[in-house]
Amino acid sequence: MSIKKMAFIVDKMPYKSETSRLALTHAIASQTVEIHLEDGENVEPVLAFIGAGVLNCLKNQKASEVYGVTTLESHIQNALLTDIKVLICEEDVKKYGLTEDQIIMDAEELGADITSELVPFSTIMSEMESSDHILFF
Amino acid sequence: MKVGVFLSEHVKSNDTLDRLRAGSFDVVLVQNGVYCAAIKENGQASPVLGKATKVYALSEDLVSRGLEPSQVDEKVSVVNYDGLVDLIFNEFGKTIWL
Amino acid sequence: MGKLTIGCFSSLVGSMTLDFAVKLAEAARKKGHDVDMWLSGNGTMLSKKGQRSFKDYSSLEKTITDLVAGGANVTACEACAEARGFHKEDLISGFGRKSMDWYLASCFSADRVLHIGGE
Repeated sequence: MSIKKMAFIVDKMPYKSETSRLALTHAIASQTVEIHLEDGENVEPVLAFIGAGVLNCLKNQKASEVYGVTTLESHIQNALLTDIKVLICEEDVKKYGLTEDQIIMDAEELGADITSELVPFSTIMSEMESSDHILFF
Repeated sequence: MKVGVFLSEHVKSNDTLDRLRAGSFDVVLVQNGVYCAAIKENGQASPVLGKATKVYALSEDLVSRGLEPSQVDEKVSVVNYDGLVDLIFNEFGKTIWL
Repeated sequence: MGKLTIGCFSSLVGSMTLDFAVKLAEAARKKGHDVDMWLSGNGTMLSKKGQRSFKDYSSLEKTITDLVAGGANVTACEACAEARGFHKEDLISGFGRKSMDWYLASCFSADRVLHIGGE
């Protein structure tokens, strides 16, 4: 049994570029990585939003109506639905004047069992330290 | 092993760089990041140089911008691509590209 | 010797980031390391054949083709390529086209990963 932990860190704002979108789609791709690996091997993803990246986590995104693209909100909910650990830096949420009720904390309507976690940066730092690789988007 | 933080922009500070645990990382200046190694704005060395115990700058990116390795701050070690590969495998356990 | 996986999401034209990634890959191969390169987002265009060389743009087709001939594994994100109108028949011979999970599997077996995000 060999599990490699990979930290997907998002510090860019959404929509102007596709960077944060690619973070989400790559993290969600961990669900199918086993087809390329040996029995017992797997990737454990952790997805964290820091700095301006926390703005990806605002609720009520209407990008599907405006741009005709899947919203980052929908991707974050899909990440939760596939049991990916989603961490959001609480210092940065506070810095941008946001409150927990403005942030995507669950995907209950889709049937997700887990929720996002608002955590101090130190927790995200610990996740990076315990990861085998860090992918900074 | 340390984290190798690649800085590709000429910035005075970077939120992530400021929040990483002191002593846990080295900085590698590449692309426009190499200006941090040699340009003194208003006579002051870049604050980025004080963020890590070891700072490296990529020689190819220096010379392509008209900067000679002899011009870099004494704190900065100049490496080429070969040296960078050795740093990645021998000094850094992980990397972050900012 | 180890394995280095480089993920590059930057564009071929208008940026020098892919130039950096390719030169690093080249240096790693010369030292005997295994190298995987994952091209995603705008980075996929590096693996498209028929690139015309202009002096004002970084031209990497020959370098990257030599790198692949020398044993490096260069694979582009299939969805990112298709979204850009870049189809399988446009791929440089010897290059790969896979879904994103390929990159994660490459990272799984890599000793070192350098992930260069988008711009």
